[in-house]
Amino acid sequence: MKRRHLLGLAATAAMTLAALPAAAADPVRIGYTMARTGLFAAAAPSQEQAYTLWQEQVNARGGLNVAGEMRPVEFVSYDDESDPAKSAQLYERLITSDNVDLLIAPWGTPHHLNLAGVAETYGFPVVGNTAASVAIREVAPGNIWFPTSAIPDRIGPELAAMLSEAGVGSVSIIANVLPFGQENLGFLTPALEAAGIEIRMSENYPPDISDMTPLITQIKAAGADAVIALTYPADAFLYAGQARELGVEAKLQFMLIGPTIDAFHKAFGPAADGIVTLAHWSPEQAAWPRAKPFFDAYVARWGQAPDYLDSALAYMSLEILEQAVAKAGLDRDALREAIATGTFDTINGEVRFDGVQNAVTPTAFVQRQGDKMQLVWPAAIATAPLTMR
Amino acid sequence: MLDSLLSAQLLFAAAVLGSIYALVGLGLNLVYGTMRLLNIAHGDILMIGAFSAYWWFTLTGLSPLIALPLVAAIGAGLGLALYFGLFRRQLAQGLPPAAIEARSLLLFFGVSVVLQNVVAFFFSSTPRAYRHLDEVVRIGDLAMTGNRIAALVVAVTLLAGMLVFLNRSLFGIEIRALIQHREAARVVGINVDRVQMVAIALGFAAAAIAGALLSMTEQTSPFMGFRFTIAAFVVIILGGLGNIRGGIIAGMLLAVIEIYAVTIFSAEARSILIYGAFVAALLIRPQGLIGFGKRG
Repeated sequence: MKRRHLLGLAATAAMTLAALPAAAADPVRIGYTMARTGLFAAAAPSQEQAYTLWQEQVNARGGLNVAGEMRPVEFVSYDDESDPAKSAQLYERLITSDNVDLLIAPWGTPHHLNLAGVAETYGFPVVGNTAASVAIREVAPGNIWFPTSAIPDRIGPELAAMLSEAGVGSVSIIANVLPFGQENLGFLTPALEAAGIEIRMSENYPPDISDMTPLITQIKAAGADAVIALTYPADAFLYAGQARELGVEAKLQFMLIGPTIDAFHKAFGPAADGIVTLAHWSPEQAAWPRAKPFFDAYVARWGQAPDYLDSALAYMSLEILEQAVAKAGLDRDALREAIATGTFDTINGEVRFDGVQNAVTPTAFVQRQGDKMQLVWPAAIATAPLTMR
Repeated sequence: MLDSLLSAQLLFAAAVLGSIYALVGLGLNLVYGTMRLLNIAHGDILMIGAFSAYWWFTLTGLSPLIALPLVAAIGAGLGLALYFGLFRRQLAQGLPPAAIEARSLLLFFGVSVVLQNVVAFFFSSTPRAYRHLDEVVRIGDLAMTGNRIAALVVAVTLLAGMLVFLNRSLFGIEIRALIQHREAARVVGINVDRVQMVAIALGFAAAAIAGALLSMTEQTSPFMGFRFTIAAFVVIILGGLGNIRGGIIAGMLLAVIEIYAVTIFSAEARSILIYGAFVAALLIRPQGLIGFGKRG
């Protein structure tokens, strides 16, 4: 009696499984690590929120197209505690122990450089995103690609060209001593000199600076046409608040990282108007039809605007991966070939790679104008002219 | 250069920064002085205060200054919860100060990690900010943002109030007695348990209020506290561990070094000068720059 009962249950279970629809295909498991704690924890959510949004969107439209088969997306993720070495170990675990189907990127340049080694060792193709350093060009091409165009040796000359065209004759520079600030300073200084723009002052400051009154007093005394503040997010708030308090009257203020963060606008509102910063994406660019829907979906999902650099780059990297997987499936060799040779339609327009780099997207700058961030440089993708005070 | 050094602008900047350093240091000093607890989660209590003020403003639209009693109560409540949950029994065991310091260091390290991650879990690590009292007030050449004036006024008022409380009230004198000599305080009939409770509540409340004040001028994130923990330790070691008045003066001194040294030398020299002064103070006057080697 008991045995018959068990057999009946087994038969019912088998019929139920057979009757499940095709949507119950095995999920595509995508692995990544994220700096959820530690030094970079405040910067990383703008990237991970873009990941989550993409996952929800893909699953809502029936799954990821894997060479014609629709499969749900499942994330396998770990906190790397902002430690690049730990991140690399976890990526090895994702490959060898968790057996993920795909990998997506962690936050920040050092993590990407470590991931590049893992990707190369295991021959696992990864589309990077939030890495921005000339060091990415030292990475062996083949298994990792970088969609960013915000690379210091391009930023310097482009910024000098924009200032020159705007009639800026002199600048004051302050720079965070952290690597991205100094790397940019290294390329910017000769570019400004070559453009004939006088550097009235150039001062470095430590990342834990608590008050910028002395620096801003010097900036005011120098009286240059423009101020270039090579900031990180925390000191961007400090600079913007105190520059406003002390009444910096430069025609133009450029800040490296910070003004694209949603909290920056909440902190300064109209006072942030006119500030120029680094970003190569904007929802205002009508030539990129995916841009505005991404912006709207992000705001609807997270109640805040995406970061114009990190969120946009994170989403772009997923769009590239999605389109490559649709074409090549999950076979790593086929996927590598698809990413390396393909042309992709992203929220930032067309992207294709030359070696490890994005060969299409230009290095660009955005300016807060009213409640919008407009692309103001270069002219090819500008959505509004640069405005000066 | 001389014009810059004599400017009211630098004086204002040093006063704002110094009063915040002093307030943050005061909280740490009360907790260390009375109980020998090394609270390396002190900056995280400040972070809780900043988040409380942020949510108050975001949800009610009312000034975070109105919410300061609430913020202080949250800080004090957290302090009391930790006191009763983690430290009261240990303190009652009569362990030597070195043992209490070592244990509290480890326990507060755990508290720090938990607080940061709980806040990150519920509110995410995304930086947050809001605009409040951000109008610029100009008096001659001096420009001051309303929220920085408010931070200065609140911090100085609290510091002055605390000094009066510690020097004039019976309970304040009991706190100082406990700081000066724990066993003697017990012998003369001071209710040590009650004084410890009040000290931790006041210390955590001071940190939470400092956080609320900073939330008006800085971004708020779950991991913002660490640099204030470091600043608070520099302040209380410079001023003399457990020396409340010394700590307040050291907070001001630290800000003066930071503002004026950057003006005279360069911003790059900031950390070298601050930590150089710190190391020099430890070598020359390990009991603290201010006072005579006795706490109180």
